[in-house]
Amino acid sequence: MKTLFTVLLAAICLTIFSCNKETATTQTNVMNSLLTNKNWYLDYSFTDGLTSTTPTVLKSYVGQSTYFITYLKTGVTQDSDGITGTYTVELINGQSQIHMLLKTSNGNPFEVIYNIISVGESNMVLSKVISGPATRLYFTTK
Amino acid sequence: MNNRLPLFKKILICFSFFLFFAQEVNAQTLTKKQLDSAFLLHPGQERLRKIKKSIAKTFVDFVGNDVSLYGALDFSKQNINDNAITAPINYLYNTVNSNTYNSGFSGGFRIDGIYKEKHRYALMFGLNRIAAGSNYKNIHTLSPFIEDFTHFKTDNVFTSISISAHYKKLLPVNDMNKYKFYAVIGPSFDYKISKISDANLINGAGNRAFINLDLGAEFDNKGYYILYGHYKLGNYISSSTVPVQLNRFEIGMSIKTKDLF
Repeated sequence: MKTLFTVLLAAICLTIFSCNKETATTQTNVMNSLLTNKNWYLDYSFTDGLTSTTPTVLKSYVGQSTYFITYLKTGVTQDSDGITGTYTVELINGQSQIHMLLKTSNGNPFEVIYNIISVGESNMVLSKVISGPATRLYFTTK
Repeated sequence: MNNRLPLFKKILICFSFFLFFAQEVNAQTLTKKQLDSAFLLHPGQERLRKIKKSIAKTFVDFVGNDVSLYGALDFSKQNINDNAITAPINYLYNTVNSNTYNSGFSGGFRIDGIYKEKHRYALMFGLNRIAAGSNYKNIHTLSPFIEDFTHFKTDNVFTSISISAHYKKLLPVNDMNKYKFYAVIGPSFDYKISKISDANLINGAGNRAFINLDLGAEFDNKGYYILYGHYKLGNYISSSTVPVQLNRFEIGMSIKTKDLF
């Protein structure tokens, strides 16, 4: 009887404390679900000052009619400039990123990496990973 | 219409056959094999009998156990602290926050009895469908464009199984031979059995088990039925990056199974 109770107690404890089911892909899955199958319109582009002596921020209103990009569930991306390619959402050293392998209209391949600063149902902030001052891009879905 | 009549006839014939065979089965007497089996030792049944005897011996002080079925209406709200979330995700505050009590329901059975002829208790085993309002304690901004958002979205509709152990104190109110009023206190335990969404699992926030402190009052109408109101204050049983406090008001009624069946 005592053994039965011990086994039962152990089973209950095991069930309770093995309940977290977060996997390596949980975060990227959530970000993918927020990102995909929408037109992301670029509202603003911010570029930090070039040097510490000129720390002004170059703000530019782009306007929704100028540029948009779509990330499809199939892993394909396309933008309003006619550039297409594939993308993956990745988590590298704790930093969420969008890796895009694109092709220009001439067929020349190139790679773009964005750090995801924040992504939601209707707004997204990305930072372009290039040498030099960072450029932040503010997108909305409408 | 012409096609329907033969089909109806077919169903009638099938039904007649079914009734005939059912009667045949009922009319069967025990076979020789079954009679022999009745005289043999069944280790499984013996073991079950021993366990039952042992349980009866262990719980000898728990007497007068009445089993009742209960149904209840739940009003729930959860307070969420998402400060520890590091994932770069935003949910607009106005779309996820609803600082209200939303209604759900629960049902199950309870055992009311007396321990050592002195202490009244109730054990409740239930299935709960909880729809909770969500109060997010932290509001984040990413100026100048994203204002008032949270990093986390919790599941506000889920199913849990629960077990409660309540101590009941009889209150000296009214004619206690007819109507009994009780003050109730005790712990309860909830375990989410519905699927937890990915958004709820992020950064190790997901948790299935709640431990609650229950406080309440009960009204026993001559043993016919019990009306009760319980307040449950719950927290995750194990640590989580997003501590959630679940507040629930449960208003319910229980009726003894022997009166029902």
